[in-house]
Amino acid sequence: MSAREKFIASAKKNKILANKCSHCGHTMLETVNYCEKCFGSKFESVELEGIGKVVTYTIQAVAPEGFEDVESYAWVIFKVDNTPLRASGFLPRIVTPKDLPIGTTVKVAGFDPKHGLLLQKL
Amino acid sequence: MTNKVCVLGAGSTKYGKLNESIIEIALNASKDAIESAGITPKDIQAGYISNVFGVTDKQVHMAPVIMSNLGIPYVPGLTIESACGSGSVMFREAYANIAAGFYDCVLALGVEKITHTGTTQSTTLFSYCSDFFYEGGNGASFPGLFASIARVYMTTHKANEEDLAYVAVKNHENGILNPKAHVRKKITVDDVMKSPVVASPLKLYDCCPFSDGASAIILCNEEFAKKNGNPYVEVIGSGRGASPAAVQSREDITTIPSTISAAKQAYKMAGITPKDIDFAEVHDCFTIAEIIDIEDLGFFPKGTAAHAVTAGATRRNGEIPINPSGGLKSKGHPIGATGIGQIVEVFEQFTGKAGERTIKNAETALTHNFGATGASAAVHIFRRVQ
Repeated sequence: MSAREKFIASAKKNKILANKCSHCGHTMLETVNYCEKCFGSKFESVELEGIGKVVTYTIQAVAPEGFEDVESYAWVIFKVDNTPLRASGFLPRIVTPKDLPIGTTVKVAGFDPKHGLLLQKL
Repeated sequence: MTNKVCVLGAGSTKYGKLNESIIEIALNASKDAIESAGITPKDIQAGYISNVFGVTDKQVHMAPVIMSNLGIPYVPGLTIESACGSGSVMFREAYANIAAGFYDCVLALGVEKITHTGTTQSTTLFSYCSDFFYEGGNGASFPGLFASIARVYMTTHKANEEDLAYVAVKNHENGILNPKAHVRKKITVDDVMKSPVVASPLKLYDCCPFSDGASAIILCNEEFAKKNGNPYVEVIGSGRGASPAAVQSREDITTIPSTISAAKQAYKMAGITPKDIDFAEVHDCFTIAEIIDIEDLGFFPKGTAAHAVTAGATRRNGEIPINPSGGLKSKGHPIGATGIGQIVEVFEQFTGKAGERTIKNAETALTHNFGATGASAAVHIFRRVQ
């Protein structure tokens, strides 16, 4: 399995897959190949609970291909709880900023081949 | 010891929706630059070309085609891509090769043709410039990515949407005076606020247009420039920087590390500080980008640029004029050409060709151009030569 395939497999279990550097303990997303702190290349895989708080987001009137036929959604950056990591995903059925105050709790709800990392509000 | 590098000539097509092929657009700008420099193609020892989406007009491996059509098929060319920062990154490579003594005189040409693809396909193609697995692949467009940055900035620094609108109003005020600009239209803060939302909180007039266009520079060493006898501009600082490709991976989303790094290098090389810059052409793909740029470039402390813009500090008669050309916002953003277009503006300003846009008594100018959400950037500093 490639790093991305592993990340997707974890997302389908509502998790975020991270790499913990065996040398310095720094944690990064699974798709990073070398530690950005010490350049170590040995990692321990850590499956994090895919729950976090919204850091920022947008709701787009003009969406890229593959998204133009879905109802209004938000592209969201969220901070994974109890870690310094941020991840981003697709949160359907968000129509106005009132639907998604900064700090709202979201969880990973799967991985869609067309729409990527799926999120839902908790 | 490196050679001094000079801009000897510059030319641009109009930016906007152009009917010619990408190669014809490129050749038109090249011919303007060659004529402006007072040289012929036989003086050109290499071609540096920047482009991103040539494939949509059925042309990749563009450099040899352009060199052949300039009558110099045996002169080597190279095509460079760094998303919206392609032009400045390419310029840096051309600059470095002159400085190192490999060439005396080169063509640096940026070109783009995208409007024929339509809004949805253009939006999609631009999303490929993001860290696609995390951003475009999860539904983010480029306006969406900058909108996300804007939301954090406005929350952190208490700026508001109206503050952003002042950037657009000022750049359109400048672009009206630029005959090559894509959108020559006066707008008000009210117009911006009432324009349709593209990606909340950004509205249509917060966003630059999709543009076609080409800009070209003749770059040479000082000896070549002096022998030529035409007016020229000296490059006195050059820097390149990088940032994490995905916005989510940046420690502070309200700053662009590549800009800070590239600017530091360029200021150090030029031996000056931000206070010595008389005007700047910066990467205002969206209004929020210009606010962040002018802080990261050191013109204003973090969190204060929005207030400076609303107070008029960045207008042509302000403390530090920003984007006298109209910027990407009004002049347009043919992404492969934009970084070179900024240098064309500096050349025109310093050689008496900027007309009503002229910044009086300007001696030193800065250009700043980045790729994607600032994953790559280059900053250059130029001095007028008397």
